[in-house]
Amino acid sequence: MIEARGLSKRYGDKLAVDDVTFTVQPGLVTGFLGPNGAGKSTTMRLIMGLDGPTAGTVTVNGRPYAQHRTPLAEVGALLEAKSAHPGRTARQHLQVLAATHGIADSRVDEVIELTGLTAVARKRVGGFSLGMGQRLGIAVALLGDPRTLILDEPVNGLDPEGVLWVRNLTRYLAEQGRTVFLSSHLMSEVALTADHVIVIGKGRILADTSVRDLLDGASRRHVRVRTPQGDELSEGLRREGADVTVFDDGRLDVAGLDAPRIGEVAARSAVVLHELTPVSSTLEDAYMALTADAVEFHAEDITAVPATAPTTVAASSPEGAER
Amino acid sequence: MTAATSVTGAPTSGTGVRRVSFWRVLHSEWIKFRTLRSTLWTVVITAVVMVGFALMMAAIMRSAVDNPEMQREMAQDPGMQAMGGLAGTTAITLGYSFGQLAVAVLAALVVTSEYSTGMIRSTFAAVPHRLPVLWAKLVVIVATTVVVISLALGVAYLVTMPLLDAAGLSIDLSDPDQVRPLAGCVLYLATVAAFALAVGALMRHTAGAIFTLVALFFVLPIIFSIIVAASDAAWTDWVNKLLPSVAGERIISGGPTPDTLLEPWVGYGVLAGYTLVLLVAAAVTLRRRDA
Repeated sequence: MIEARGLSKRYGDKLAVDDVTFTVQPGLVTGFLGPNGAGKSTTMRLIMGLDGPTAGTVTVNGRPYAQHRTPLAEVGALLEAKSAHPGRTARQHLQVLAATHGIADSRVDEVIELTGLTAVARKRVGGFSLGMGQRLGIAVALLGDPRTLILDEPVNGLDPEGVLWVRNLTRYLAEQGRTVFLSSHLMSEVALTADHVIVIGKGRILADTSVRDLLDGASRRHVRVRTPQGDELSEGLRREGADVTVFDDGRLDVAGLDAPRIGEVAARSAVVLHELTPVSSTLEDAYMALTADAVEFHAEDITAVPATAPTTVAASSPEGAER
Repeated sequence: MTAATSVTGAPTSGTGVRRVSFWRVLHSEWIKFRTLRSTLWTVVITAVVMVGFALMMAAIMRSAVDNPEMQREMAQDPGMQAMGGLAGTTAITLGYSFGQLAVAVLAALVVTSEYSTGMIRSTFAAVPHRLPVLWAKLVVIVATTVVVISLALGVAYLVTMPLLDAAGLSIDLSDPDQVRPLAGCVLYLATVAAFALAVGALMRHTAGAIFTLVALFFVLPIIFSIIVAASDAAWTDWVNKLLPSVAGERIISGGPTPDTLLEPWVGYGVLAGYTLVLLVAAAVTLRRRDA
């Protein structure tokens, strides 16, 4: 359980975290979502006591992190992948940290095996790929068998198999009753892994809700229809209870009826259809809408994709998320 | 990978995890110290170089026996005089000035390398109290310095014995005036290690810390030795004699104390005082600053 109350952190002129209050519950995977520079990493550093808050408090399992007698058994953290001396081997790095808590070498070897690092355990960390560094960071997080896990962008740099492994691992840890708090800037990733999501933008909490609620909110669908007989069709559709928006270029956006029903209505009134496309607003769209004003670094929109593009990426569709 | 099949037992079990104690942190810091190749090499090379300098100096002293002019020149050299003149202990401890560079860089790196590599985050996550980390690093670097320098001096004593005996400069370990420079060499370098560790902890950047240490221990003494020779102003004498290395080195030198320098134990006390202040400052900032 992580509890932040009125937590703020200022670096010079910049308010990185602005009066945030949230609770991360045990037994759930809680996603911490926000664009780059939104304050995710800073919040996690505050939880770990690496940075001191400008205002407010944050506790882990009931106490400020630094007051725990066995910190590694309370919280396992993956903060940045490269938090190790490149001159030590993976095993030596783990032994260094294990020694502070009197953790045996057998446990070190256990987490090495668990994270798939056995083959490189005796290689120096300096030569590790981003993905291997990430696995080592996760091994460190698991070392003390902690009740709470804090993972900052855990899937960064992992191959697809590694991503799947992290997903399963975090789910498994939460099922054991542990608190799992993982950050990501990818909505789709959080939707696949988390039960609950806290969205942060420009240092403020924008949403604190279950993933299901967020999905429901995001899955407002409509069907895009093109027809030379727009007035006729929209009249017919409205009689069926649909909500029709007519655009200047003759396009209709129809909500409340699915594509087959629209086709039937069109056929009945002998209307010619040029296009009939189901469109669902994706999770990414919901996320983008939520954080649109809170993005730190805006890129030029070179593709000019309309805000509600057809769902082509299965992983980011609501159906994908339920799996 | 078939994922988390064998993860970690019940969430609250905490199998095999014991509370953080100073001894455990010390053990951790010792593993850190001995698992870096660069550290080991620095330590070995320092010891070898110190023994080498001792041998070289003893050989020169040996050959000076048959060359009265050479002997006279050595006796009049200001550097030799500051070291305690033509004495066996001067030969054995000659390498300290190289040793202090190695020890200072090593001690500073013990802290700054953690910041430059990001290791400090892992360290402070495991020991969020932070202070035990500083004290454990202090114990490791000081103890290592004491052991390595004592060993180097011991070996130097043994290998130079025939040469020094032949030169009539045998070291008498029952004479307190000869033991003090030897023990003082160990004490001085151990204190330099603590000083450098504190500077590293305060500055946190490798380049900045090493620049500061080299400036304090090597560059300023040279500049001030010139200024003192050229100037009559009393303050230059005082600045010079209060420089950390100029003051601290007094403990290594034998022979009478020149007017321009402090008494051996007073000089050492000045260096120890600086070191204590820096360590306290390092401890305070370590607790307060963001990692």
